[in-house]
Amino acid sequence: MSGIELALTGFGLMLGAIFLRVPIALAMALTGFFGTWYVLGHPQSTLAQLKTLSYESFSNQGLSIIPLFLLMGQFATKTGMSAALFEAANDWLGHRKGGVAMASVGACAGFGAVCGSSLATASTMGQVALPEMRKRGYSESLSTGVLAAGGTLGILIPPSIILVIYAILAEQNIVKLFLAALVPGILAALGYILTVAIYVRLRPGSAETAPRVPYSDRLKTFARTWPVIVIFGLTIGGIIGDWNWGKPGPQALFTPNEAAAFGAIATLVYGILTRQLSWSGFKEAIFETAKTTGMIFFILLGAEIFKTFLALSRAPDLLADWVSTAGFAPLQVLAVMLITYLIFGCVMDSLSMILLTVPIFLPIIETLNFGLTPEETLLWFGVLALVATEVGLITPPVGMNLFIINGVAGDIPMARTYRGVTPFVVSDLLRIGILVAFPAITLWLVQVSF
Amino acid sequence: MQLAGQLETRVGRGLSQLARLFALFGGLLLVALGAMTVVSILGRRLFNQPIQGDYELVANGCALAVFSFLPLCQLARSHVTVDLLVDRFSTRAKAVFGFLGDLLVTAASWIILRQLYLGFGEKFPYGSDAFRDAFKMGYKPFFAETTYELEIPVWIPYGIAVIGSTLFFVVCLYTVWRSLNWVLAGREEL
Repeated sequence: MSGIELALTGFGLMLGAIFLRVPIALAMALTGFFGTWYVLGHPQSTLAQLKTLSYESFSNQGLSIIPLFLLMGQFATKTGMSAALFEAANDWLGHRKGGVAMASVGACAGFGAVCGSSLATASTMGQVALPEMRKRGYSESLSTGVLAAGGTLGILIPPSIILVIYAILAEQNIVKLFLAALVPGILAALGYILTVAIYVRLRPGSAETAPRVPYSDRLKTFARTWPVIVIFGLTIGGIIGDWNWGKPGPQALFTPNEAAAFGAIATLVYGILTRQLSWSGFKEAIFETAKTTGMIFFILLGAEIFKTFLALSRAPDLLADWVSTAGFAPLQVLAVMLITYLIFGCVMDSLSMILLTVPIFLPIIETLNFGLTPEETLLWFGVLALVATEVGLITPPVGMNLFIINGVAGDIPMARTYRGVTPFVVSDLLRIGILVAFPAITLWLVQVSF
Repeated sequence: MQLAGQLETRVGRGLSQLARLFALFGGLLLVALGAMTVVSILGRRLFNQPIQGDYELVANGCALAVFSFLPLCQLARSHVTVDLLVDRFSTRAKAVFGFLGDLLVTAASWIILRQLYLGFGEKFPYGSDAFRDAFKMGYKPFFAETTYELEIPVWIPYGIAVIGSTLFFVVCLYTVWRSLNWVLAGREEL
């Protein structure tokens, strides 16, 4: 078998297993294990590799940021931050047409700034915002749709677990990636707000307005969001800002790992001091972190074994050679990749998609000329891949955010949630087009900061 | 019909307690590492004196936390699966595929545990030949591999990881039993 055929067979078998409910991590590991066995004729090298592989991949310095950021997000969900954010956003936006839905988007964006997970953002904000939208007579499809979409801001706005993984795979600077994702993340929030505005005009009666709140009260509720502002300012601001006041040369306050540690501790201390985090809440936060961390690292280990097989098959190099000699336009190739993400996003989670595809796509991307420097190309592609895989969270049939919101709502039919999220998917697709057409949107902040 | 249904529930409850205890250990370890990092940042910023080897401690501590998280993750069935196709099957058929998944994870957890233990043996620099043979630890290493900055012997964290990995394997065995009972019952009850 040629390398490409081998890799394709591997991929086919893996997908088959995944559809038969084999955990994705395991499907990757099995394909990698047996694929390597087939190529080398024996399993000894993988077994020898496994003596240290599990410990060494789990103790990778670039990865220790993940459990710490997850812990920070979990502590944040246990405090009143989500409610404070929503209240403030609602005071500013609620009186507009569809304003409560817009406020949900704003609050999701704010919460995404302290939480690196979309699912946690969706469920936390869902619990706060759904009752309010219900009270104001918002239609069920708009309420669930906007919250499922808003939840994706959790991972688009830094900190972002997926970008941490991409940074390791593509050997890129995580600080630059966070910077690159910031403007597209804000653009996403604005896009969702615009979508709500159009939605309520096309379908009058899907939303009522809340009474206008005087500015003095608005400032008061806004002031109550200080923990989010301080913690985001210090963690993400501490990584990407210049804290060397008055002295020559920029100097960040933290490395990303330190920022994650600081963020987790700061949220914990805030929760304890305000008496919002009880011992049982603390334990619950740890258990949730444990489940998500275990899930993520199990996938990482599976992907590690799969990667060995992929490298042995030489398929990525062969594919890259073929693409560069076949003379496709760079944008055509990029479009195929992004569409692949959109399609697979309907059934797979974003982490697995990134781990499976980036080792294959990167050698190809590196041969293409988009008129950017090699580093810029990889940063830009990282953000595009993130945005495209995140659409998968809200596309039927298995958009995880849809399930989460539906679970929080309890009594709304799934079909109505599917319908409600459609305009937001359209907004996502438009945004991907804009980000592809104008790389400067992504790269501008990186260029002015470095 | 169930395979020792009552015993299964009791064992499950016990293992759940144990898995939570391990997860709590991992979580408290993370919090401690976070606090240490904050102290180190303050030390560096104020006195130009960070804690030596702070990065190394965080990285290795995180690995130990992950190993102690895996049992709870498996017990709660938190691994990502695609249920799109099997959702169309009967609840029993779906449970059968869940059973197969648990079976495969158990096989993987056994390989992970076994190889990790062999890795531990290769780093553990003590014991007579007879002792090492009895515990299948392989050849004694000529020198104890240590971490880069603090020179902590790596067999120590490896040993702790073996403990977490062992509970992961035991929990996996239990989940096979549990999902077999779900197949017999005709549906999953998580």
